[in-house]
This record gives sequence, C-alpha cells and structure tokens, in this order.
Amino acid sequence: MRLFAAFLALLAFLLLPVAAPAALRDTLRVGLQLEPPNLDPTSGAATPTDDVTYGTIFEGLTRIAADGSVQPLLASGWTVSADGRTYLFDLRPGVQFHDGSPLSADDVVFSLSRAIAPNSTNAQAQALRAITSITATGPLQVRIELAARDSGFPTLLSLGDAVIVSRQSAARLATAPVGTGPFRFVEWRRGDAVSLQRFDGYWGLPARLSRLVFRFIADPNAAYAAMRAGDLDLFPDFPAPEVMGQLAADPRLKLAVTPSEGEVILAINQRQGPLSDIRVRRAIALALDRQAIIDGSMYGYGTPIGSHFPPQNPDYVDLTGLSPHDPAAARRLLAEAGHADGLDLTLKLPPPAYARRGGEIVAAQLAAVGIRARIVNVEWAGWLDEVYKRHDFDLTVINHAEPYDYEIYGRTGYYFGYESPAYRALLADLKTAPDQAARHRILGDLQRKLAEDAVNAYLYQFPHLGVQDRDLADIWLNSPNQMLDYSRAHFTTGAAAAGETVQAAAAVGGGGWLLLGVLVLLLGLAVWGFGPAYVLARLSVLAGTLLAASILIFALVQVVPGDPAAFMMGLNATPEAIANLHRELGLQGSIPARYLDWLGGLLRGDFGISYTYRVPVADLIGERLALSLPLALLATLLSLLIGLPAGYLAAVRQGGWVDGLLSWIMRLGIAVPGFWLAILLVLVFALGLGWFAAGGFPGWGAGIGPALSALVLPVLALALPQAAILARVARGSLIETLHKDFVRTARAKGLSRGQAIRRHALPNAMGPVLTLLGLQVPFLLAGGAIVENVFYLPGLGRLVLQAIAQRDLIVVQSVVVLLVGFTVIASLAVDMAAAWIDPRLRDRGAS
Amino acid sequence: MRKGRNVTLWLGLLLTGLFVAAGLLSLVWTPFDVAVLDVGSRLLPPSATHLLGTDHLGRDLLSMLLAGASVSLSVSLLGVGVALVVGVPLGLLAAARGGWVDEGLMRSGDLVFAFPWLMLAILLAATLGPGASNAVLAIAILNIPVFARLTRGEAQRLWQLDFVAAAMLAGKGRGLISLQHILPNLSGPLSVQATIQFSLALLAEAGLSYVGLGVQPPAPSWGRMLADAQTLIGTAPWLAIVPGLAILLAVFGLTLTGDGLGRHFRRGEGA
Repeated sequence: MRLFAAFLALLAFLLLPVAAPAALRDTLRVGLQLEPPNLDPTSGAATPTDDVTYGTIFEGLTRIAADGSVQPLLASGWTVSADGRTYLFDLRPGVQFHDGSPLSADDVVFSLSRAIAPNSTNAQAQALRAITSITATGPLQVRIELAARDSGFPTLLSLGDAVIVSRQSAARLATAPVGTGPFRFVEWRRGDAVSLQRFDGYWGLPARLSRLVFRFIADPNAAYAAMRAGDLDLFPDFPAPEVMGQLAADPRLKLAVTPSEGEVILAINQRQGPLSDIRVRRAIALALDRQAIIDGSMYGYGTPIGSHFPPQNPDYVDLTGLSPHDPAAARRLLAEAGHADGLDLTLKLPPPAYARRGGEIVAAQLAAVGIRARIVNVEWAGWLDEVYKRHDFDLTVINHAEPYDYEIYGRTGYYFGYESPAYRALLADLKTAPDQAARHRILGDLQRKLAEDAVNAYLYQFPHLGVQDRDLADIWLNSPNQMLDYSRAHFTTGAAAAGETVQAAAAVGGGGWLLLGVLVLLLGLAVWGFGPAYVLARLSVLAGTLLAASILIFALVQVVPGDPAAFMMGLNATPEAIANLHRELGLQGSIPARYLDWLGGLLRGDFGISYTYRVPVADLIGERLALSLPLALLATLLSLLIGLPAGYLAAVRQGGWVDGLLSWIMRLGIAVPGFWLAILLVLVFALGLGWFAAGGFPGWGAGIGPALSALVLPVLALALPQAAILARVARGSLIETLHKDFVRTARAKGLSRGQAIRRHALPNAMGPVLTLLGLQVPFLLAGGAIVENVFYLPGLGRLVLQAIAQRDLIVVQSVVVLLVGFTVIASLAVDMAAAWIDPRLRDRGAS
Repeated sequence: MRKGRNVTLWLGLLLTGLFVAAGLLSLVWTPFDVAVLDVGSRLLPPSATHLLGTDHLGRDLLSMLLAGASVSLSVSLLGVGVALVVGVPLGLLAAARGGWVDEGLMRSGDLVFAFPWLMLAILLAATLGPGASNAVLAIAILNIPVFARLTRGEAQRLWQLDFVAAAMLAGKGRGLISLQHILPNLSGPLSVQATIQFSLALLAEAGLSYVGLGVQPPAPSWGRMLADAQTLIGTAPWLAIVPGLAILLAVFGLTLTGDGLGRHFRRGEGA
C-alpha cells in the first residue's frame, strides 16, 4: 500500500503540467479531417494534398480570385491569339523556389510537359493534354498551343495539378515538396501533422504568420475536443455540424460558415433496371424533402439545390421548384412506371457523417413512397471500388466538392451512367462560347438539362463549417478555388496565448536496437536456464507461427477488394494514370512472387515501402511504436499496480466485506466498454476540469513532461478495465493456491497467515497473472486503436486502421506480422518467468 | 457463502433476464416506431412522452434501446453459439486423438490468439462488407480456440478417470466415448465459460458497431448509438450515458451469472 502511494506521488510529479513558454502568437494550427497521402499535388488527386500544399508551398501560373475570376499569379499576364489556340504567358521576374533556385520559363515547360507525359500520374493529365506544344520563347516567356479553342484553359492552370515545380526537386515532391509559395515545408509527422515555415525569399508580400501547422483529425469527437481545448486555431471544414452551436457559445471561438463549391447529391445508377426510367428518377426527387435532410443531417447548415451547381456562382439558376417535396406525386409516377407495389434498391453510404446521417433520412423518406432502400455503409476505398469503379450500386449520397464539375456529366462510363448526346453538345458549345453572355446562357441550359433529366437527386450545397479562434483575422478570402489563402492570416492579439513549442521529433532509430538487445538478452537467459535444446524447440515453434501468420495475413489482404492506387488518385484519375502508379508501387507481379518478395524483405529487416506515404514501412512503424510501446507498457504497469494489490487484498479477506466490495468493483470494471470510459474521461478531465489536453501527442521531442501529460487519460482508459481483469485473475489464482496443501503445511509449521501467503502462496499464484500479462502488452499495442482514435494519438493501432481504409496493405501485413511476433515472444518470456518462480517447471524444461 | 443462497447467480439471472425480456419485447412492441424519423422533435430531453428522450434523428431513445437489446444480444449469442458448435468438437477431437492432431489444433489456436483481433475483424468487414453476419463471424473466430482449449483440458482430465477406462474395456470407440461419457461431464465448465464469453462478446459487439462494423443502420445497436451520441455529449448527455449504461449493465449481469454458475457447480462438486 505504501509502495502504491509512493508510485502515485511519483506519477503526479511526472505529470505536473509543464508551463508552455509564452510566445508571440504567430503559429497557426489548422485542423483538417483527412491526412494527405503525399505532398505532391501534381501526382494523384487527393484533395487533402491540395489543402496542405496549394497556395502555401506551391503556386501555379494563374489563380482564382475571391470573386471567381481568373487572375495571374506566377504569370504576370498573358495574351491569347484570335483563334483562341495560342497562349503567350509572361512570367513574374524575381521568383525563387524554396531551395534558392530562380523560376524560369524552363521550369514551366518542365512542369507542364511532365504533367502530360505518357507515364504521368497527374490526375488532370487528360484535360492538360489539350496542350499540343509548349515552348520557352524567352527566359521569362512561355508559348502554349492548344488543340482547340478552350475558354476554360486559364482556369485549368489554376488547379493544384498544374502548379509549377523545378526540375531538381521534382522527384522528391511527395515527401519533400519544394515550390515558390509563401511557406516552405519543414516536417511531416505521419498520422499527426505537417509543419510549414514562412519562406523569407518569397516574391510577394511575406506571410504574416511564421509557422503553419496542419493537424489531421477525422473523428468528430476528437475534433470537437481539440477545438474546445485550444489545441487548434482553425478548422475550415469541421466534421460535426451538431456541435456548431456549442462551439459558437465558446467565447474564444467564432464560426465562419461559408458556401463551398460542393453539391451533395443522391447519385442514381441509371444504367439499367427501373432507374433507367426517368419517371422513377423523378419520383425519387419528388419523394425527398431537402430541408428535412439539411435539418437532420447538417443541423440546418446548407442551401437546397435543384441541379448540379452552387448557388453563390453568378451563373446559378434556382431549379428546386422542378422537384418539390410531393410524396403523392411520387407515388403516382411510380405507379405509372409499373412499381405501384414498391421497389427494392441498395443505398451505399461512404463514411462522412453527412452521407451516413443523410442516407438514413433519405431511406426513411423513400420508404414513405414505397421505395425500400437497403442501407450499406462502405469505407472510402470500398466506395471507390464498388460504386465509382464497378458501378455496383443503385443509390449513393456523395458530396461532389470540385468546382466547375458539371463536365463530369459529359463523361462516358462515369459512375452514375448518364449518357446524353444533347448534354455533351451543350458542353462543346460552352468550350467555344465567344463571350461571357454566351457562357452564362449555356451554363444555365446545362443546369436545366440535368434537372429535367432527373439525372441525380440534387440535395443541397455543402457548407464549409468553419470554426476559428476569435482573434484570427484575414483568412476567409479566396474560397471559390477550394483552397484557403493563409498568406495574410494573422492573430490580432499578441503574446498572451501559449505558443506551441515545436521541435524536431526525436529520432527513433534507437528503438530497433533496443528491441534487438532485449531479444538477445532473453535468448541468452533462456539458453542459460533451460538448455539449448529447449530453446531451439521453442524458437522453431516461434518461427513456424510467424511463417503461418505471414501466409495467413498475406492471403487475407489479397482478397480485400479495393485498389490503393485508385484511392490515392481520387475521383478524376484516368485509368492510365492509375496503371502508371501500379508500376511505380510494384503492384503488378504475380501473387506468389509478391509474397516471396515481401517475405525475403522481412527476413532482411526490410518491411517494404508504404504505398500511400512512399516511405519505408519500418520508419512508419518505428515512429508509431515510439508512442504505442510506452503507452502499452505504462497501461500495463498501472493495471498491475491497481490490479495486483486489489486482487491480493480481496483474496486474503476472502468472504469478508472487503472482498465483497472489491469483487463487485472488479465485475463492474470488466463490464465498462473501454471507449465509453475514454469518452467520459475526456468529458470530465479535459473539457470539464481542463487538467489535461483532450488529445493529441506533442512528441517526445517536446520534452518528457508534456509527452507524459498527453498520455495520462489514454493510459487510464486502457489500464482501468485491464486492472479489473488482472485483479479478478489474481484473486482467483491466489484463493485456489491458499487451499493447497503446502500452504496449510507452512501454516502448520508455525508461519503466520501473512507469512505463509507472501512466502508460499503468492509466488505460486503468479502463473495465471503472468500468462495474462503476456497477452496484455500485445493486446494493448494493437487493441488500443479505438482509444487512440478517441484521443487522436498517432499510434500503431490507428496506423493500421488508416492503412486498411486506404488499402496501404503492405503496412497492414507488416504490422500484423510484427504484432504476432510480439505476442509469441511475450508468451515465451512469460513461460520463462513462470519457470523462474516455480522450480518444478524449470526442471521439466531442462530435462 | 451461506448455503442455499447464491445472490450473485440470482442477481445476474435477474439482470440478464431483464435484457432478454427487453429484446424479446422489442420484436413485437416498442413505444415508438424506430424506423420513423422525425427531425422536428430531435434531441428532446427525457419527458413523459419520451421516457429517455429522443436521439439526433428524432427517434425515441427507449425504443432504440429495446430494439438495440435484441440486436446486441442475438449477435453475441450467435457468435458464441457458433464458437461452441465448432470449438467443442475440436477440443474433444484433440483430447481423444492426441499426437499431431492435438498439436496442430492447439498451435492453430495459438495463432488465432496471437493475431490482432480488431484488425482481423476490420479486414473481414472490408472483404465481406460490414454487417451483423460479419460481427457474428468475427466473434466466433475469437471464441473457437477458447472453447477448444477448455474442452481439451477438461476432456484430457476425464480420459484419465476410471469410468472412461471401463467404457474402453467395454469396447467402445474413442469417438463414442467422447460423445457419451466426456461431453455430458463438460456441461458445468462449458456453461460457466460460455456465460463469460457471452459477456465478452457483448463488449466486442459494442466495440465493432461503435467503429461501424456491426449491424448496419437503420437497425439500432448500442455501440452505434454511442458513436452517434459522442459529439452530442455536451448538449444531450443522456444519449451517450444511457446506451453506455445499458452495455455496462448487460455485461455486468452476465458476469454475475457466470460467477454464480461457477459457484453453483463448485458447490455441487463439493457436496
């Protein structure tokens, strides 16, 4: 008991909140829902990559201004020939890349040629291939020839896919991006944050912030907690509309809800069956009550739309009147189409809350007119594979976030299967439109055509649910191009708030050597204690288990549908870009060959290269273990410190009221769902009392105090249920031992009850406890995933969950084999420890 | 401890019975229809009409809780049931045959134990699609080695006993003995273990549906109710507290039942 108190005191000392040094408030911490797979906006089409890099690190020739017009950026201006096919761009002088090299016409030629090359993985390669030739006509002048007139070409050049990069740094953009923007790349802690620093050699006005940190938090609860706890200054797209009211009530925060370019639609697969009948599609549109969907899933945030176009655009036409909420009319149309007795459809829903919650409401509204929509929730990789690629769906709810994406309705074989020559003719007219008035008229016709054909059911315009620090200013400019402009952002108050002390993450290379050392030590002890034959036998079992596990997990991973390349490339990727990426990732070999390749690598200690992050898997695992291993060990330690004394106390007082009370507490402890406990801990100790951060991990580089303080609540959430289990096992085992003859003999010999228990019963009762411990550490390493999620800790469990979702399967395989290895080695260690305590087992082992 | 009173067992059975009754009741009647959404009356605090209030889509929480009971209980029960049906024969086989069959079966069990279960469950869901059957499968896989191991251990002990030797002398085969003499003597330890595993399965099911891998909407489940309620804990705390308490009490009831059963059988042996 005294020991326990001493430990508590020590713990309290270690966890004393370390005062953060006051600093000038020039660091902006931005929350984003999704982490980018890589930092190269010119390969793949992941929106998160643009969120982090576009306009911050990288810039293009043009940009979209706040009013929606196209403005020059790296180009100081351009001229177009009379036939609209030749563009002459003049480049801004004095621009330099972050590596110090100057921007020249050569870089523009290189960047755009790279984007349209045959082996390009650029998501806009197809659109950019309108370029037939590109030449440097001077050190700061470029001529671009197009195959045909395209009034949208300057807009195309404003996309993140068309940013200008330099030849020297192009190969390493994915992990070490170099651009011309106001911020330069500093570091990327995978699963956690990307940090940028003001670039002092910027050609334009220098940024007012000195540092920009993007943190990745998809979990709505964790996002809420982070915002309330002051861990973030800005969340441009907050994932939980239901708490906007609460956030608005926080005096330090304010809301900034702005319209986005996204349209949330109920997409309809109209290739065949009842949905190819326009009457059925119209019936669906009439069955839906847009306002109820907005109220129910978005808590009122969002504007109803009647076609695929955002209301804030000057070319918008309000067509919601074409499909009012009219269930009776919907029923009539259905009956007319021969479905008077209803219709069975499948509604597939991707993960975001707007889709899942909105989908439930859509299904209920459809049910009211006799359409039975069966809900199937899918992950993003599953959505891309089943819905987007294989068209295996009837209905799906999805936000089309890209601006000017009415052109998707002109594509052949697009996922919802709308094939209309009339619409394509309108699109062609738009390209060759002579003036703004003609463009305006044609854009209106496009919207009307989509609404009249009831291609999809158009629900509402998606809002940017922005939450920000009250003192953050000059940030909401330039929203029409999807990106935020951070270059002018600043805080209106100075030194009051605590700045983030950012230090480079500690190198974790030592971790591997430490593990190896422990293993060698273990082996040495085993040979010394049990003899080489026994150790050899155990080692061969270990190797066999690992081999079996590697085959099992590899086979399992092969049958998981979904394609990592498709996930990385996003919605607009061409099949050839995906094929190019497959080659890059080494995904084209036969299954046995790839298995042997991977296994051979494992034996050499090489876990392969992550598909999404493009860095060695071993590095990823090392980074995560630096958090997960201490977390698991601390949780185990705490559970031991609580569980063993409790179990001991209950056992020696067996049948008394202490035992009774403790037994009831143990049973309750076992019954508590760990994630529920985690939520309650955040509610009480982070949001309520404010003793600890609600989540996140500053990294060991930030000092031992802050790092440990971030682990207190997670350790508690993991340890308390485990402590209850340990206590029960310890109690049961000790009671059983107490009834054994040798304890009675010891008592008869004249030892006191306490002496008999401590000297004879306790060591003998440790077996089951040790076995449990051996399972516990690996369990906590992997099974902490849900708790890691609640506290948004970048641990091993979350790495795997994310890797499964993104189909980064090589990471999944390797971590699983590693965890199996941990478990097997832990059980080996436990067996040896048990033998140490109980000589009978040791003798048996040695013989 | 007093003879003739097994408070633990009775309290456990009472709690468990309550939840089973709630689940059964929900099949024929709930205060409100959980399939009907009424966004206008969402997030209402507990009142006379809605005893436990309403959720984020305007559904009656009590009705959701009742319907969730039937889902959670049946998924867990099915998972444990499948594990029993597969695991017990495997354990009997291992004990009866010994040798490489025994070794192979037990090593496979070790492999399953060593495999990170949550990741396995998520991979299964990614392959087969999430849903109730997937949750049943994941729970069954986790539990098969538990029952196989227990059965094997107990059966090995029984094989040493005289009445089994007598049956051998009578010329009965090993398979027949396993079924006629070994299996009936396992009912005690198996029922205790099954109750414990049932309680753990309930927790596992809640965890799975919390991360979205369990039964799919609109069917209610306690785990998903918790996930939905999480962000609302500031405005509508009852939404997060009530399903969490339901899980806690159901698991607690089963744990008590397991403990009580264990005591019951031990006492039977002692007498």
